[in-house]
Amino acid sequence: MSVIHRVRLPIGATPLVAVGHRVEPAEVLATRRPPLTGRNLPVASILRRSAADAVECLAARPGSILDADATLATDGRGRTVHVPEACLYLGYDSNEGTALVAPLGPPEPILGHVRGEVTTVDHDEIEIRVSGALVTGIGGSGAAVHGELRLAVHDPGDELRATAIDTGATRRILVGGSRASAEALTRARAMGVAGIVVGGVLDKELRDFEATQRRRREVGAERGGFAIVVLEGYGKVGIDPALFDWFRANDGRMASLFGDETRLYVYDADPSPARRPLPRPGDRVVAHRRPHAGLAGELVRELPGPHATAAGVAARSALVRFEDGRTAIVPLANLDAAEPVRGTRG
Amino acid sequence: VTQPLLDAELALLVDAGSAWAKAAVIGRVRGRWRLVTHAAQPTAWGASELRATLTARLRGAADPRLAARIDDLFAGANRIECHTAKRPGRLAVVAVSREVSGSAARRAAEAAGWDVVELVTLDDGRSLSDRLAILQTVQVDAWLVAGGFDDGRSPRGMDAAALVASARRPGAGAVVWAGSVALADEVRALFEPDAATAVANPRPDHRREELAPLRTHLQELLRHVAAAERETNLSTVAMPRAIGALARTSGLRVLGVDVGARTAIRATGDLDGSVVSRVHARGGVAGAIGAPGGAGRVARLAGDAGDEAAVADILQTIRARPASVPQLPEELSATQAAARMQLAALLDDDPAEAVDLVIGAGRTIAAAPRPAQAMRILLDGLRPLGVTQLAMDVASVLGPLGSLDDDEIGEGISLLSDDLVAPLGTAVVTRGGEAGRMAMRVTVHRPGWPAFAPIEVRVGQLHLVPLARGQRAELTIELGSGVSIGAPRRSPRIHAGATGGSVGLVLDARGVPMGLPKRGDDRRAVLAGWRDALQRELGPLGERVA
Repeated sequence: MSVIHRVRLPIGATPLVAVGHRVEPAEVLATRRPPLTGRNLPVASILRRSAADAVECLAARPGSILDADATLATDGRGRTVHVPEACLYLGYDSNEGTALVAPLGPPEPILGHVRGEVTTVDHDEIEIRVSGALVTGIGGSGAAVHGELRLAVHDPGDELRATAIDTGATRRILVGGSRASAEALTRARAMGVAGIVVGGVLDKELRDFEATQRRRREVGAERGGFAIVVLEGYGKVGIDPALFDWFRANDGRMASLFGDETRLYVYDADPSPARRPLPRPGDRVVAHRRPHAGLAGELVRELPGPHATAAGVAARSALVRFEDGRTAIVPLANLDAAEPVRGTRG
Repeated sequence: VTQPLLDAELALLVDAGSAWAKAAVIGRVRGRWRLVTHAAQPTAWGASELRATLTARLRGAADPRLAARIDDLFAGANRIECHTAKRPGRLAVVAVSREVSGSAARRAAEAAGWDVVELVTLDDGRSLSDRLAILQTVQVDAWLVAGGFDDGRSPRGMDAAALVASARRPGAGAVVWAGSVALADEVRALFEPDAATAVANPRPDHRREELAPLRTHLQELLRHVAAAERETNLSTVAMPRAIGALARTSGLRVLGVDVGARTAIRATGDLDGSVVSRVHARGGVAGAIGAPGGAGRVARLAGDAGDEAAVADILQTIRARPASVPQLPEELSATQAAARMQLAALLDDDPAEAVDLVIGAGRTIAAAPRPAQAMRILLDGLRPLGVTQLAMDVASVLGPLGSLDDDEIGEGISLLSDDLVAPLGTAVVTRGGEAGRMAMRVTVHRPGWPAFAPIEVRVGQLHLVPLARGQRAELTIELGSGVSIGAPRRSPRIHAGATGGSVGLVLDARGVPMGLPKRGDDRRAVLAGWRDALQRELGPLGERVA
């Protein structure tokens, strides 16, 4: 199975790969020179014109990247304004007669964070065909990271506890269970964990954690990336046992986690258990609303008419025998059919 | 003996939303077009499943002689459809300040139906490099730049525009300058010819805020972005068209509100058929978690949905799985409170004027388990001052009807007449007065019924009077000191008509805006009292007060 992954390139980025190139997660796909703090460059005074008149002499458009010593403005009579170093031209102040330029910093690498084959290199993006399984979540946070998958809980309903995160988890993507507490997230970041995949998370804890991440970035304390992907729901919600088994089978494989995009690629893995809406009798199902969120079971039969939930909402519903032994009537809209797993590669 | 051939005419009205697809079957019954059946299901289940559901329902309801021909009748049925745009127009906003120009620009954009995917301001604490990195990777259909008052040439405004010029690739979306008018030419010059347009500044000075011109321009721009789809089939266009036609044919001022999963629509139709509409791209129930302080506000409004953290989890679940159904009472309470909050946000920048009829649409309202819950969402969210009829679009037919050609919409509305919307009743909403003092004394005269004694409602109270669907009543309203129902008062007694519905006549003296106690226990008690006053089963003279 393969999926196409796109890496967006900022303006001025220099691609370092070509079509057909096989890339690794840590490989640099392109470089970018980020603009530093802007500064004003006198223009009108050098051209000996008024601030307003000098506008007509500008040779560059805002947004242009200028090489060192490139012409920013010229009056056509020999007076020329050059930029002293490579910079991004941001704009001209016609009151002051100055140009705002941002010198370009040293090149910074742009990583793809994925393993695969480059299929397209464009001025604004690089496409990579990724061989492996894709797991998508319902929420997440953080940038792209990669690392080995490692199961950090024994059961899909277990919470990922801070005490379970040790130095062995450094640079790995941990698979938690039904919840990762704020304490666990903080410890994971401190231990250099690359990312966490979890069944559920309390929205408040995730937001609090994001806020601390933001503050750390602002003061320059946040350097390595850290990402979280939520698979099943908000609150304490376990991972579907079949999906958890699939993670167990792929423990130790290289993976890439995209928190903000809620995606996880696991390389050289067979497809993960798929989901589809509208389950039928006999299907294995996963519920995604409380009080059964995250529970899996078998859809026994659909009820002949609408059935009212405890909240009073009448909906097409089905009788579900959950794997924990409980039986309940659940609205069909709150169930996904879980397709059978086709075994895993050795 | 051969049976006479029985035939029927059917039409299928389909409203395919982002989360739920709704369909109604209308058929000619004894010479009249009637709503025969309707159904709703998650859109992801597909059209064939929806048709199967409708077919099954029709088999149970139709003349048995037609049962074998239901599939053929469906195949020949006229299909009238509207749908939510495949994706909303995406906009990046770059402004000088978060609180002034950025806030105004964002609100104008959201009220015009744009999905603001990024807001970058020069006071957001990010470095220039970070701002550029964000803007260079964002994928949008248009850019909105704002900053500077009209009496100056703010260099910061130019910085904001230059930031967009640096991040945007030529040809990558229209640019709207909504900042200092003095900088308009310079900003336009930053971009390729015809790429940038200048619009009246929404913050012309530090005291004034004038969002309307920017909102109108952005609405027009959004229509161009969505031009790939047939415009009248878009729910955001179709629903307001139906409201306009309904206002013209009924001779009533009509306010239609549709709180969907993703978007919310507000349309006010006037007697001449003209309609003013707003679309909030993230105004649906799933957008509640993204509203400023959303979870806390919903928790306070609901009262019985749990604390802020619990409500945040519920709202995130609704965002992630908008087609799912609340199973627990607290989840339903949070969903309905979120709808009330989003409805109130629809009126934030432009409070609604008095209207004769309010129609609620969208699953949260139209599929509320009890009509009283739908009534409460509309009353609490909109606070319609004065005497107003309320109804809901139970079968989601307004959108599809609004996608018809101009000359057919009114005809479609007239044909369905009684089945078009389900009346909830009438509300009398007052403003002002002192807490605990009389807000209004209402005498209800119902033809053929003994008159009730005048009902006195105190400020902060909600009172329900039975008035069944089809019943009419004449109201005599005496207002307390300092209390108003919006219209100028020429006499101490106001006479108004009321029509009944599944809830009845609601005398609502909770004020506009509604005042809620600050202390948590008191607030929960007050909210529970209001909820119970509306939801209790009514006896023959079962007035309820809270």
